[in-house]
Amino acid sequence: MTALLQISGLRKRFGAREVLQGLDLAVEPGEIVGLLGPNGCGKSTTLNIVSGLLQADAGQVLIAGQPVSARSAALVGYCPQDSALYRDLLPAENLDFFVRLYGLPAAQRKTRVDELMQRFGLLPHAATRAGRLSSGWQQRLSLAVALVHAPPVLILDEPTSAVDVEARRLLWTLIASLRESGTTILLTSHLLAEAERLCSRVALMQGGRIVAIDSVAGLQARVPAQAVVELQTAHEPATLQRAAELGWAVRRYGGRLCCLLPQAASLREVVQALDGAGVTAVSVLPVTLEHAYLELLGADGAA
Amino acid sequence: MTGPSFSIVGPDRIHTLTLLLQQTLAVTRRLLLEQWRQGRGLIFWAVFPALMMLLFGLVYAHNASMRAGLDAAAAGILMGAALFFSCLGGTVAIVAAERERRTLRRLLVSPLLPAAYFLGVVVAQTLLAALQVVVLGVIAYAIGARYHGSVALGVAIVVLSVFAYVGMGFYFGARFAKRSEEVVVALSAFGVPLLVLGGTFFPLELMPQAMQTVARFDPILHMNQALKGVAAYGLGVAELRTELALLVAFCGVALVLGVRSYGQLLAAEHGT
Repeated sequence: MTALLQISGLRKRFGAREVLQGLDLAVEPGEIVGLLGPNGCGKSTTLNIVSGLLQADAGQVLIAGQPVSARSAALVGYCPQDSALYRDLLPAENLDFFVRLYGLPAAQRKTRVDELMQRFGLLPHAATRAGRLSSGWQQRLSLAVALVHAPPVLILDEPTSAVDVEARRLLWTLIASLRESGTTILLTSHLLAEAERLCSRVALMQGGRIVAIDSVAGLQARVPAQAVVELQTAHEPATLQRAAELGWAVRRYGGRLCCLLPQAASLREVVQALDGAGVTAVSVLPVTLEHAYLELLGADGAA
Repeated sequence: MTGPSFSIVGPDRIHTLTLLLQQTLAVTRRLLLEQWRQGRGLIFWAVFPALMMLLFGLVYAHNASMRAGLDAAAAGILMGAALFFSCLGGTVAIVAAERERRTLRRLLVSPLLPAAYFLGVVVAQTLLAALQVVVLGVIAYAIGARYHGSVALGVAIVVLSVFAYVGMGFYFGARFAKRSEEVVVALSAFGVPLLVLGGTFFPLELMPQAMQTVARFDPILHMNQALKGVAAYGLGVAELRTELALLVAFCGVALVLGVRSYGQLLAAEHGT
């Protein structure tokens, strides 16, 4: 399949710091690809270049075969982290303003606005100014604004970082439905659960490059373990020695002491194996995207 | 999403001029709608010149020797106080708010032509200025002031002044006002002294000679004198050619500065 969004050799420098160091990425039609990585790894810079907000120093971004430029505005929808709406306007008025900017003929404007109001469930809030909507509804409206011109590629910059848990889940459902209707999405997030829930593929970024890109399951499979044991210990040397004897690799994921189990094991088996090694609390977990993230980005390294 | 018929819209498909017109009207419509929704803001733009005119009218009516100055006062209040704050201050506030609430970035991703945004603000401010002219004119007439010159020339001076103020508004908004709160402070710090020096509140002749010399470098003085010349003394193009030439020159400089600053602001936003 031909990539709808093709990024090749993208480089960007801010002063002495090279934020993007030859980034390559191909996104196929209908995919949701998530860019994950620590702050400063180049996620937002990538999105800004793809959306035309920023010019790359080198490399190329092609959307539907066209290089990104002012002319490609119709190909990209951009939904910023903060909702960026006209607070005194009603939801339909915000949509109408942007529909007009895209040059839709007058006869079709109202139909398009009505369609978006309906699709994004905004009708019950039709009489509420954008600034008085809850953050979740504002973000929902912001998403609708990004789609006024039905772009084939949608850019979402941390789409749910500013909303509560309930609103986040509703937004996830909405974003998933966009994928089902064929919109190709490139998003950044700090929420691994968001990537797990939404993304067809996840690109892990570090130092301006993609370190690994795969489906969530594919990334999890790169962790050399069938299960992860998270534990607390009163006597760490004894615990580490026992883990070594058992052939379990040890990591510190987010400051937590973890053992990678080469075979699946029950909690009872793990407790028995660690008996007398100073362990005070233990839990056995399936391998998650968080484990893959920490393992592949080397965020913590071996203990 | 189901792709409507406009999924690919660009200069190749729609004539640039048509798009420019449509976008200009969209920006104007949005700004006026925001003003309307803010309600109090719109009322304040009307109340401000109305109150100024009433107060000045009372002062002039109370002093028989100054009654002749009433006609000129109306022109001065319109040019110096009303249009200055609404067109210059309003434009600075628009640019600052667009940047502050991050909608500017959203606009940058859209196909909005920079010229359409600029023109949209100019048209919106011209319409607000028209509202102020009507309110102020009615009150001025009611308290005895009369308009003596060519209406067309008066309108031309007001329109040129609006363009100049909007141009300066873009310049200050793009260069200096990063946040809405800074707008009021900046206007108070730099604007009010320029208004005083420009003869808005009392005639140039009352100022000391040195101050009069400095005032001649204040563009507001020439805007004031041009409109006062037409409105209060019935002067024509020939008599006002110096003031009009200065007004046209100031308008040109302000627009160039405004457009360039706006361009630089967009470039800076592109780079962030």
